[in-house]
Amino acid sequence: MASAGFDFQAMSSSCQIRLEGRDETDLSAAAERAIKEIRRIERKYSRYRSDSIVSTINQAAGSRTSVRVDKETAGLLGFASQLHQMSDGLFDVTSGIFRNIWNFKAGKVPSQEQIDAVLPLIGWSKVNWDGERISLPLSGMEIDFGGFGKEYAADRAATIIQEAGIQHGFVNLGGDLRVIGPRSTGQGWRFGIQHPRDDGQVLVSVELAAGGLATSGDYERYFEADGRRYCHILDVRTGWPVNCWASVSVVAPACLAAGALSTIAMLKQKVARDFLEDQAASALLISPDLALQYVGSEKPFPLML
Amino acid sequence: MAATKKPTKYGSIAAAALALPGVVLHAENAPESGEVALKYLHYNDSQPGLDRITVSSPSIYLLLPISPRWSLEGTAVSDAVSGATPRYHTAISGASRHMSDERHAVDVKVTRYQERASFSLGVSRSDEHDYTSNALSFAVTIASDDNNRTWNLGVGTSSDSIGSTNDANLHESRKTTEVMVGVTQAVTANDLVQGNVTVSNGSGYYSDPYKEPDVRPNKRGHVIGLLRWNHHFSELGASLRTSYRYYHDTFGISAHTISTEWVQPITPRLSVTPSLRLYSQSAATFYFDPIYDKNVGAPYPPNYFSNPPTYISPDQRLSAFGAVTGGIKFVLQADANWRADLKVEHYVQQSNWRIGGSGSVGLDNFYANFIQLGLSRRF
Repeated sequence: MASAGFDFQAMSSSCQIRLEGRDETDLSAAAERAIKEIRRIERKYSRYRSDSIVSTINQAAGSRTSVRVDKETAGLLGFASQLHQMSDGLFDVTSGIFRNIWNFKAGKVPSQEQIDAVLPLIGWSKVNWDGERISLPLSGMEIDFGGFGKEYAADRAATIIQEAGIQHGFVNLGGDLRVIGPRSTGQGWRFGIQHPRDDGQVLVSVELAAGGLATSGDYERYFEADGRRYCHILDVRTGWPVNCWASVSVVAPACLAAGALSTIAMLKQKVARDFLEDQAASALLISPDLALQYVGSEKPFPLML
Repeated sequence: MAATKKPTKYGSIAAAALALPGVVLHAENAPESGEVALKYLHYNDSQPGLDRITVSSPSIYLLLPISPRWSLEGTAVSDAVSGATPRYHTAISGASRHMSDERHAVDVKVTRYQERASFSLGVSRSDEHDYTSNALSFAVTIASDDNNRTWNLGVGTSSDSIGSTNDANLHESRKTTEVMVGVTQAVTANDLVQGNVTVSNGSGYYSDPYKEPDVRPNKRGHVIGLLRWNHHFSELGASLRTSYRYYHDTFGISAHTISTEWVQPITPRLSVTPSLRLYSQSAATFYFDPIYDKNVGAPYPPNYFSNPPTYISPDQRLSAFGAVTGGIKFVLQADANWRADLKVEHYVQQSNWRIGGSGSVGLDNFYANFIQLGLSRRF
C-alpha cells in the first residue's frame, strides 16, 4: 500500500492532500488533477482577479445590467441565497465590503459613522437574482465567495480523487478538511482542533473516516483594542464583530456544509447551539473562556489531548 | 435493504450543500471492497411426539467490486434435508415416510451504479430432485438530490418445474411474475421509514404432490404491504427496527406480521440484537379441518367421494394460526475486515394464537429452531 502527501499553496493557505492506495503513480495523478481543480475554482471566483466571474459581477454593480452566469456559478449563488435564508439573513455574500472599514492589520476600530455609511451597500435581499442572471443594484456593492469557496474546492477536489478510484485520504485547504475515506487500515484520520488562544497548539483532536470538518474562529483575523477583541466575523445587521464563541468546529457530510454551519453558528452567537441542533449537526463550540460544548453526537470529538 | 442502514437525514444546510454538483460523489457507489462470507444454517422442526425435518445448509457468498461502477455478487447454497415428511393433518397419528433430499441453489447478481441510481440484474437457479426453479429479477434504486429519499422498483419472474418421487409421470410447471414499488425516507436524523408494495401473479401447478387429497387452484396471486420504521438512539448508540407486513393472496389467506428488534452495541466490536416477531394468518378457503369421512376415514373429509370439492388441501401451512418467533443475534466485528455472527431463533406456531379470529381446530403445535453461524472477510 503506497502513501503520499502533496503540499501546495492555494487560496492564500497552506494546503495538503494525503492519499493512500495501491499505486503511487495513480495517487500522484489523482492529486495533480485535484490541485488543478482547486486552482480552477480559485481563478474563477477570486475577487483579486479582474477576469473572474465575481469581478465581472462586481464591476457591473449599479449599472443596471445583469450578468448571466454559468451553471456552476448559478449553483453557488443559489446555495448562497439558501444560506442567507436559512441563517435568517446572517450569512451574506455581500458583506465582504466591511473590509473597507475593518482593517485587521491596522487594528483600528471604525467609527459608527463609517459603519453606517457602509451598511446600505450590504444585503443579499437587495440583489436581483433569478437563478440565471444577477445584478447588484447599487454602485459599490460587491459579492464574494470567500465564505465558502475554499470549502467548495476541498469537496470538489475530494470528489475528483474518489472518481479516480482512490478510497483513502483527505484534502486539507488551510484547515478546511474533507476526508476521502479512512486510512487503508480502516482507521479514521486524526485532525487537531486549534487552541483558539494559543496559536499552533491543539486543544482537541477529532478522528474522521468520512465527511468534512471546518472551524470558524475569532482568532483567524482579529485585533485587540481597549481590552476588547475584534474579530473578522461581522454581524451584517450592525457591522460589529461577534464575540460569543472563540471557535465553532462542525463535522458534516461535506466540507461545504461544515464550513457554512460553523460560520453561521459563530454569527448566531447565543443561539448557536439551538441552530446547530436544528440542523442536526455534530459540533464543538469553544467559548472565550475555553469551555467546550458539544452539539449532536460527541463521537467525532472523543479525544482530548 | 436500505431500511437497515443507519438513518442519514441531514439538516437543510447540509442538504443544500450536498445538492451542489461535485461536492460529494453522488454515484450510488459500488462497494469498495470485496467480501466473502461463509454461513452455516441448522434448522429443525418438531411437533409433540415427532421430530420432523432437519436441514443443514452451508452457503458461500461472494461480492466482487469490478470497478467503481460495477459489482458482482453471488451465493451458492447446498441444503441437506432429512426427516419425516409433513403429515397430512398433524392430528393424524401414524408413521410418516422418512425422506432425505438435497437442494442446490445459486444466484448471481450484477449491479451498475450510476449518479443517484443503481440497476441490478439477477438470475438464480435452485435444484432438488423433484423441483427446479429458475428466476430472473431486475431492480432499480433512485435517490433524491438530498439523498433523504430513495425509490425502489423491482420486477421478477420465475419458472418452476415440479415432479414427484411418488409419481414418475408428474411433470408440472408454474410461472410467477412479481412487481415491487417502494420508497425509503429519512424523516429525521434518527428516523428512517420505508414503505413497499409487492404484487405477484402466478399460474400453474400449486398442489402438493405428496398430499392426498390436495387440489389447489392453478392461479395464485398475492399482494404484500410492508412498513418499516428504524429509529436510532444516539445516546445509547442503539437502533430499534420495527416493521409491519400485510399479506393477502387469492387462496384466501390474509396474514399480519409485526417484527421488532433492538440492535445494542455492547463494546465497539460486539453487538447483540434480540428480536421478536408475531405472525397471524387466516386459512385458505379450501383448507379443511381434520374431520374425516365416517366411512372412508382419514385423510378424506366427509362427503369427499359423494360430493368432491373443486379445491381442497389438508396442508397445515394453509390453516389459520398464530406464531411467535424469538431470537437473539450476536455480531463480532473482530477488526476492519473480519466479522463473525451467531443467530439463534425459536419459532412456535399454535392455532389458537391467531389474532382476530379462531385458529384451525385439531392441529398440533409446531416448533422450529434456527441456528446460523457466519464468518465473513472483506478483502
